[in-house]
Amino acid sequence: MDGIHDLGGMQGFGPVPWSASEPSFHASWEGRVFALASLAIAAGVANPDAFRHAIERLDPVTYLTAGYYGRWLAATELLMKERAGKTLSPLASPGTLRAVDGAPRFALGDRVRTRRLHPSGHTRLPRYARGLRGTIALVHPSFVFPDTNAHERGENPEHVYAVRFAARELWGEGAEEGVQVYVDCFEGYLEPDVP
Amino acid sequence: MPDRPLDTTGPVAPPRRNGELVFGAPWESRLFGLTMALHRAGVFRWDEFREHLIAAIGEWEREPGASAWRYYERWQVALERLLAAKKLCSPVDLDGRTRALAARPAGHDHR
Amino acid sequence: MSPHDHDHDHDAAFALRTEALEALMTERGLVPPGAIEAIVRHYEQDVGPLNGARVVARAWADPAYRARLLADATGAIAELGFSGPQGEHMVAVENGPRVHNVVVCTLCSCYPWPVLGLPPSWYKDPAYRSRIVREPRRVLAEMGLALPEDVEIRVWDSSAEIRYLVLPERPAGTEGWDEARLVPLATRDAMIGVARAASPGDGDRA
Repeated sequence: MDGIHDLGGMQGFGPVPWSASEPSFHASWEGRVFALASLAIAAGVANPDAFRHAIERLDPVTYLTAGYYGRWLAATELLMKERAGKTLSPLASPGTLRAVDGAPRFALGDRVRTRRLHPSGHTRLPRYARGLRGTIALVHPSFVFPDTNAHERGENPEHVYAVRFAARELWGEGAEEGVQVYVDCFEGYLEPDVP
Repeated sequence: MPDRPLDTTGPVAPPRRNGELVFGAPWESRLFGLTMALHRAGVFRWDEFREHLIAAIGEWEREPGASAWRYYERWQVALERLLAAKKLCSPVDLDGRTRALAARPAGHDHR
Repeated sequence: MSPHDHDHDHDAAFALRTEALEALMTERGLVPPGAIEAIVRHYEQDVGPLNGARVVARAWADPAYRARLLADATGAIAELGFSGPQGEHMVAVENGPRVHNVVVCTLCSCYPWPVLGLPPSWYKDPAYRSRIVREPRRVLAEMGLALPEDVEIRVWDSSAEIRYLVLPERPAGTEGWDEARLVPLATRDAMIGVARAASPGDGDRA
């Protein structure tokens, strides 16, 4: 989904609120939010990918102004409404690591190009890294594929790769020198980069 | 060796998760900072504060149903008593200032 | 009045009383200006997640552990007893004189909970998420870390389930230090990659 959550490279947000005089200690409610979210996921209200996608579907103003807790609450309400009356099915197996048949398609050092996807549903390929050329920097294990799992269309696990992009490839001539950006890409997001 | 007043374990120790302090609200961290600042300025010895904290926690433990457990409420009771004992801040002064702050127009950001 | 309202009023009463206490103490000259902010910042930034700090301290003190951490971070971290949600597959990325690593989740706020606890607010903020992938040298400089042009910056976007831990450079002046002494130098900001590890004599640590 080309939503407000996909913030990489967006401009206009100003300085990182890092050394604010207002303390940013961890409030105890953060732990409660985490615990409740874990319980809800375990009870089958939503799997973690559907949870993330619910947050992504909040309207942009709510997303940017509600804060962490507000976003989580709003997403939970949305999911409860959508799932009212349906039977819940607790998570089949914990975690996201899954075995796949077959070897990884790509190897360290391979040149790849990310697809120019624009799905309306959940995806984990950020907009700033689509349709661009990179190099396989790490070959990771295989994981549940969020793009289908978020919509209960199956786990369909795939290998994941850390793809290295030169900053200039991502941002053009104004890019900072000496910067590489690594994005973890599912195999389905990639195709070989043929000259 | 740096001064390390805080208990890291036991009933008197402030709540932590993975080594980091946990506060339920900004005022708690403010209170914590105020206490440490006063201690570092030499206003009291840490064991003096700690005794009051132990006493305040003990009072709650004797009547646990009377109020919800909140660590930093116990801490605040302890600090107020310590400052009163040292004649640095009387309950009357504190009540008065609290009332004055409460009388501010609505919309003021209470930390 | 609902339990939530009651809690809120109760909380507000304590907040007010704390504010009054602070005002009186400051007015009476018992608290130097800026002292509270400095303390709060110290605890926020310097007294950080112990799990991650132990991993880093061990890697600094023990070259064999460092090698295991770089080859299989999940396994090496589990050796110390740390594992759990958002830490199923970990990768440690090592800083060096010519390479600096920094971690983000541009799409949400994914973070290596088992070693670093909950993410700080700024990490989840749109300003960090949007800017660190696009102008990292500038953002890091704004956050107090100036990196010369000949240092390569590697930004890791945690877009899948892999979680990254930065292994900062070991500070100078710590030769012969044992693990326990090194732990307080491995700050959370250094393990995310927005700061260097603390140096000996950077101020007392609790």
